Amino acid sequence: MHELLLFASVPVHQHHELLQQLAGLTAMQPRHALERRLVYKAFRKPGLNTGRVGGSQDLQQANAADLQRVNKMLNGGMFYTQVVGPVSEKDFAAAPVKVTASELDSDTQMAGMELSNPSASVQADTAATYDFDRQPWKLDFRDIPEAATRSAVTTRVMASAALPRGNIEPSMNAWGYGFVTEYVVEGDIFIHNDIVIFLHRVLHYPSDEKEPREPRRSLPSLKKMAPLEKTGSYVLQASIAVQDGSNQETMKTASQHLLGLREQLKSAVRLEPADRLSLDTRAK
Amino acid sequence: MVEFFSLPLRPPTDKDERPDTLPVEIAQINNQWGSFREVNEDVLRAGITKQKKPDATPLEEAEEEPTELDATERREQLYKRRLEITQFAVKAHQETMLALDFISLLLSKHSPRQAETSMSPLLKQLAPLGSLGSDLVNAPPRTEATLKDIATVSRGWRMQSFNAVSNKLLNAATRLNREIDSETKYWNEVIAVKDKGWKVCRHPRVRQALAVRYGFIEATPAFRDRGLASLQRSNDGSLVLDQGLMPTSARYVRVQVKQGQQKWASSKPTGTIANESDPIEARILQARDSVFEEELFHELVREARALASCGVTTRENLISIPVADETEIMLDLVDVDGHDSHSQEAFLRENDSIADGFAHGIRVMLCFAHRQNLRRRTQIPRPLTTARPPIPEYHLLRPALAYLQHMTLVRSLEAYFSDIYTVLRSAGLDLPPWNLQTCVGWPVGSVGNSTQSLEALVGKFLRPVESVFSGDLLTPHGSFSVTIRTNFSAVPLGSIYEVSFQLPTVSHLKTPNRVGLREEAEAAITHVLLLDVVSAIASGPISAAPGKTEQQNWVPIYPHLGELLLPHSHPERHKKMKVTLTRHDMAVTTYLVNSIDGVGRGVQELRMQDAGAHVCKFPRSSSESSLDQGSEALMDFVAEEARQQSRM
Repeated sequence: MHELLLFASVPVHQHHELLQQLAGLTAMQPRHALERRLVYKAFRKPGLNTGRVGGSQDLQQANAADLQRVNKMLNGGMFYTQVVGPVSEKDFAAAPVKVTASELDSDTQMAGMELSNPSASVQADTAATYDFDRQPWKLDFRDIPEAATRSAVTTRVMASAALPRGNIEPSMNAWGYGFVTEYVVEGDIFIHNDIVIFLHRVLHYPSDEKEPREPRRSLPSLKKMAPLEKTGSYVLQASIAVQDGSNQETMKTASQHLLGLREQLKSAVRLEPADRLSLDTRAK
Repeated sequence: MVEFFSLPLRPPTDKDERPDTLPVEIAQINNQWGSFREVNEDVLRAGITKQKKPDATPLEEAEEEPTELDATERREQLYKRRLEITQFAVKAHQETMLALDFISLLLSKHSPRQAETSMSPLLKQLAPLGSLGSDLVNAPPRTEATLKDIATVSRGWRMQSFNAVSNKLLNAATRLNREIDSETKYWNEVIAVKDKGWKVCRHPRVRQALAVRYGFIEATPAFRDRGLASLQRSNDGSLVLDQGLMPTSARYVRVQVKQGQQKWASSKPTGTIANESDPIEARILQARDSVFEEELFHELVREARALASCGVTTRENLISIPVADETEIMLDLVDVDGHDSHSQEAFLRENDSIADGFAHGIRVMLCFAHRQNLRRRTQIPRPLTTARPPIPEYHLLRPALAYLQHMTLVRSLEAYFSDIYTVLRSAGLDLPPWNLQTCVGWPVGSVGNSTQSLEALVGKFLRPVESVFSGDLLTPHGSFSVTIRTNFSAVPLGSIYEVSFQLPTVSHLKTPNRVGLREEAEAAITHVLLLDVVSAIASGPISAAPGKTEQQNWVPIYPHLGELLLPHSHPERHKKMKVTLTRHDMAVTTYLVNSIDGVGRGVQELRMQDAGAHVCKFPRSSSESSLDQGSEALMDFVAEEARQQSRM
């Protein structure tokens, strides 16, 4: 699957106005989104046998091709990947102590029981629990943007897959990924025909905390989160996904859609392709 | 010219070979000399003398005659003369150009652009533009009278100009006043429209015009784009709603219910008729309603085509839907003020509720479809592929159709139950009453006002409609239930009956789960009730005849055929009872048989000659009751028969 993108920088004073303009353009209300993003880095497992040792004459042609493909995947380029988990605002308000308490609660209590017991659910609401073990995750892979494309949009290969809920650390480690860091993205999503417009900014965890070696089990208050860009400016990302990247016609249609959006938004923001190397996801 | 010398510059005229025709010559003479009528001797003489006089002096003509000069001299002379002519011409040209340059330079002070075009390049190099001025010096002294004249004239001119200017200014002022008034009116109306909540925007195609959007943004693109009209300003400043090529008359989808020969029409939508004189708001509303109704009809036709397998037919402007046996619903798009609507008044109005309900229903479903569109549109889109998923037809007719068909079936089954229960009760059987639960799962009463609960409510109508008939049987722990399920939202379309029952006495009985036909369902129910009656008779206590101690019972030998047997010690005196149950009556026949071997029925069954067949029919007609034995109920009849048997 391919992804075509255009980006624009939006200063914080223009943010509200642009939200309204986008709402008018797309004829929909913005959908607020908060996402935890965990950055994982691929590592080569020690002792991995990569060479083919003897006895491969028996392998049939198809098997050989398969093996080659797997080898290529295992020994090919190493990439950073992201694990994305949607969260809601009230997940942030939870104080760490209370979270652990409610987590213990939710361990002993099934999810359905909470619903059946109104007092417990009210308590849960006031305590604003964040249940890390029920946090859904999604694995997002993005390749480095294609080089030397003549079109005026950023194009890259993408893939995404659902992951099991809860703690994904063991699975990711098993797949050969090590946790690097995490951050939070907050923003608003608009849909304009096939284009997903995401007006967002990156928030960092408070710097006074010690950087943990694994994903956090609780979240600090949203107010304490500091934007990566000190001025608090936003990034406008317009993206369009294409199922078959080898189909030139679809790719052309998609980029034309994006460029059409750029024309429509010309008076508000300047959508541009991003610098290729700044979107490099290869692990060196 | 210094010397008189004529040089033929023009090409020599060829003599016409043919002389002029007489009429031409006459005309020429007429022209030259006047009419022939005026020709007389005196005139001619005068003419001759006149001709002679110039003859006396012409030098030129004399000179024109070729002088005796030789050819070379003549040529030289010719060249010389020509050279002179050329020199003269050049000189004249030069002087003209100088004059032109001079004037151009002089004028270049005032209109440099224009003067520059006529200046020679040399002059442009030598003198910059506007470097020559002119002034009047030493004006000739004017007399006092002239000065006075000039003063008077200039005062007059000035007065005249002032008058003209003031007139123009006044005209402009009044025009501006009028403009201001009409603009104020226009903008006030525009603001009024905007304040009412309409979306006013710049017209996407006509850049200078304002437009109001009244259409439904989630509608099909063709109708979404039509929901925009430009707000033009008429001369007096009032708003004119310019809808382009759209028909201006209000139209609506009329629903007609035809039952047999009778026809009922849905009532008109209210509040949509607007005249030119009405406020702009009313006209916008009318335009909105019209575009909604047209979209509704468009979608109805689309859906009706998909429902062709259910007998729905579409013609150019009419959709007809057969609902049940006699009922047919017709939909068409008509003008609100159509004259044919008056003739509808003559029809009975009692069944309007169906037509009105149908009309409201399809509109609610269209609004629901719009909301679904919004929901679909605001989801994260699927990756772009070459094949776009087709947009399915809206479910507008289907829920209404499902409900109508369902209710017809429910009513027919209800009538059937009440018929057969009447028959059974008339036989004195004490059946517990049956229950009917129509449209299971549909909320009764008001639901919340929130968007979600409303959408959930409408969403329920899209699911299969279900009604349940249930009741207990005479047999203890026996019960039955019939579920009618009508589904028009997904294939297979149509209704099915789910018949199930519990009858402990006939354990091997299997329930015919799904039945498609009404007759089959009714037959199944009849059969169950027959079995129930048979088992009731069999379990019923029969008071033994006096003098006999043994208890006798009717034995259900072939319960599925409604046959029971009362065994007797004498092999030829077995008594058989046959119960038949139909929708309208129940008959019990008893007769004696002599061959009970397990096949004692049909051709093998040997009926005794004097079988003494007794027939008891329910419900009893007044004529029959006198003929019969007079036993009131089935059970009495059964017991009586048993007693007669035991007496034998």
